[in-house]
Amino acid sequence: MENLNRGGFTFDLCKRNDLIEKTGLKMKGFLKTGTTIVGVVYKDGVVLGADTRATEGPIVADKNCEKIHYIADNIYCCGAGTAADTENTTNLISSKLKLHQLATGKQPRVITALTMLKQMLFKYQGHVSAALILGGVDVIGGVVTPSLFTIHPHGSTDQLPYVTMGSGSLAAMAIFEAFYKKDMTKLEAMTLVADAIKSGIFNDLGSGSNVDVTVISQEGVEIHRGYEKPNERKYRSNPYNFKKGTAPVLSTSTLEPLGSRIIIEDVTMEG
Amino acid sequence: MMMDDLKLTALPEKEVPISHHRFEPYVDNGGTVLAVAGSNYCIVAGDTRMSDGGYGIQTRHYTKVFKLTDKCVIATSGMQADTIALRKRLDTQLRQYERDHGKSMSTPAIAQFLSNTLYHKRFFPFYTFNLVAGVDEDGIGCVWTYDAVGSHERVRFSSQGSGNQLIQPLLDNQVGKFNQQIVDGPRELSAEQALSLVKDAITSAGERDIYTGDFADIVTIDQKGVHFEKFDLKLD
Amino acid sequence: MFLTRSEYDRGVNTFSPEGRLFQVEYALEAIKLGSTSIGIQCEEGVVLVVEKRLTSTLLEPSSIQKVVEIDYHLICAMSGLTADSRTIIDHARIETQNHRFNYDEPMGIESTVQSICDLALRFGENRKDGEERMSRPFGVALLIAGVDERGPQLYHSDPSGTFTQYHAKAIGAGSEGAQTTLQEKYSKTLSLQETIQLALTTLKQVMEEAVTTTNVELAVISKKEKKYKIYNKEELEAVIATLGQ
Repeated sequence: MENLNRGGFTFDLCKRNDLIEKTGLKMKGFLKTGTTIVGVVYKDGVVLGADTRATEGPIVADKNCEKIHYIADNIYCCGAGTAADTENTTNLISSKLKLHQLATGKQPRVITALTMLKQMLFKYQGHVSAALILGGVDVIGGVVTPSLFTIHPHGSTDQLPYVTMGSGSLAAMAIFEAFYKKDMTKLEAMTLVADAIKSGIFNDLGSGSNVDVTVISQEGVEIHRGYEKPNERKYRSNPYNFKKGTAPVLSTSTLEPLGSRIIIEDVTMEG
Repeated sequence: MMMDDLKLTALPEKEVPISHHRFEPYVDNGGTVLAVAGSNYCIVAGDTRMSDGGYGIQTRHYTKVFKLTDKCVIATSGMQADTIALRKRLDTQLRQYERDHGKSMSTPAIAQFLSNTLYHKRFFPFYTFNLVAGVDEDGIGCVWTYDAVGSHERVRFSSQGSGNQLIQPLLDNQVGKFNQQIVDGPRELSAEQALSLVKDAITSAGERDIYTGDFADIVTIDQKGVHFEKFDLKLD
Repeated sequence: MFLTRSEYDRGVNTFSPEGRLFQVEYALEAIKLGSTSIGIQCEEGVVLVVEKRLTSTLLEPSSIQKVVEIDYHLICAMSGLTADSRTIIDHARIETQNHRFNYDEPMGIESTVQSICDLALRFGENRKDGEERMSRPFGVALLIAGVDERGPQLYHSDPSGTFTQYHAKAIGAGSEGAQTTLQEKYSKTLSLQETIQLALTTLKQVMEEAVTTTNVELAVISKKEKKYKIYNKEELEAVIATLGQ
């Protein structure tokens, strides 16, 4: 009976894991992919920004990927970390939030998305490597409230007027700390966000290529995919052409057209 | 419910092993170098980015191609500190040779000498990956490619460094013309074609390798001497 | 010349008040006692000829070797205390092999001669522990012949550590007479065959005995081959036959 009354946490598995590690088995390390993502609150809403580089170790896997994910019509979320984790986490919460919206008949609130995300990430104890920036606007009783959060892979969150995450977060934050001001116009905020992302793109090897910007306000959402493209290829030689017959033909075989082997029959129903 | 029924298990104290700080003598500062030799020219390229081994850039202007004589350059990727130490050694020995023998060391002699220099540190190697490129006594373009401990080979083209795996197949195809039944035009590239290919190759490496970028030194070596040229790469 | 003997002729590193190193000068005298060696350089190559003194008919001629290989492209002939040349030759062979190992190319002729002379000069040095001390200057002079990218070259080195390049040079007992002949007969336009003949006739003039296949040695390095060739008995026979009277 005593066991049933136990409360709080049990750390029995920690003991087990330590024991396993001592036998030489290594726990899998995190595959951290580089990124710069930022967000800033301005007079009428929130501006989110991201670079578009995806890496696999030292190799650029995608030169133009999307890191600003849809959560709801009034909420978007930037993701850094393992691409699969950020995509699935935001997708999952987006679905749950849609069901919540249908059930309540109300526009989802940013704080709801935040709570769902942090609860999920905490449940997975950091094994889901998603570092997120959640931004959106709530309109409650005619009052417009922009809000902006960061969510760390273990589930902790912060609410701030300007935030950065990912491997380029320090480079981007340097720009924010130098140039952020309260109640900026939309254009000022977008320029600041683009500058912060470019700081990450140029100074962090994990970030690169283009700047994506998403603006969320009461008027709706503006998605600027490729808001700036500061890294176009600078040199290209003449195209590489190969004469027909360059590759050796090892063997040839001819397949009959599929149609000639299909027999069409009429089947009459009996009686 | 009695209060003492509520029992919490304490977080077990993890046995932290006493960490002996290990001596780590090496860091890979990244970067790519490549060279293509023809019958009367040799073209060498090296980017100028130097990273900290992680996601940081330490400088955008670190030249990896170094002139040894009027007919020979060395292009080195790997660890910058070792590169500089190696260069210094080569340079002093080259001057010594010049005085001892009344002539500058030929490119093939430099190639052999570098191998010996690298093997000399067989059990604590220079963390450097080298190309020796230039023209020989007859003005014929030549490239030698090395591993860190001095194994070397004379080749017509080669690449080294972080973008090596991206560039070498391109050179095999475009310069080596490997596995091609019919080859359009002459087997050997002209100096202009080789220059264009080398520029395209280093640009492409900059597209996909995060450690290659910023600028490139494009070096042309022929009977007339060594000619350096700056070339723009992407800064991201 | 050496009538004014004094205590200054003892130490190898003591100058006389007149500024002379007697031991070195005596060593130079020792060379004049040796058999004659002649070297001639022409456009096509270098030739070395040496007299072998066969002091007894019971002596096996092949046991005397006065033209030796340093490297494929480099040979030398000697006069004087030939035993001393062993040390020098060993040193030169090591130097040229080291050069091949380090640079994958044959060593330059002048560099090799320089390194030989560096060794010849070491008689005055105080050696560190464990190093052999050289007790006196070498008593041998060398004619070093070779071909490198600068073409065929002939050098003379002596116990003072001096080296000089020559078109034609004779050393040893008959050197004075031979040098006079060379002075008269040498021409820059000589072919390799003519050079061989000039070398042999000059040697013949200063030899007491008749030239035979056993009492001379002949070696040639041609510019074309860049590899030395020591003439064997048959080849030598053929050359001697062309000399006439």
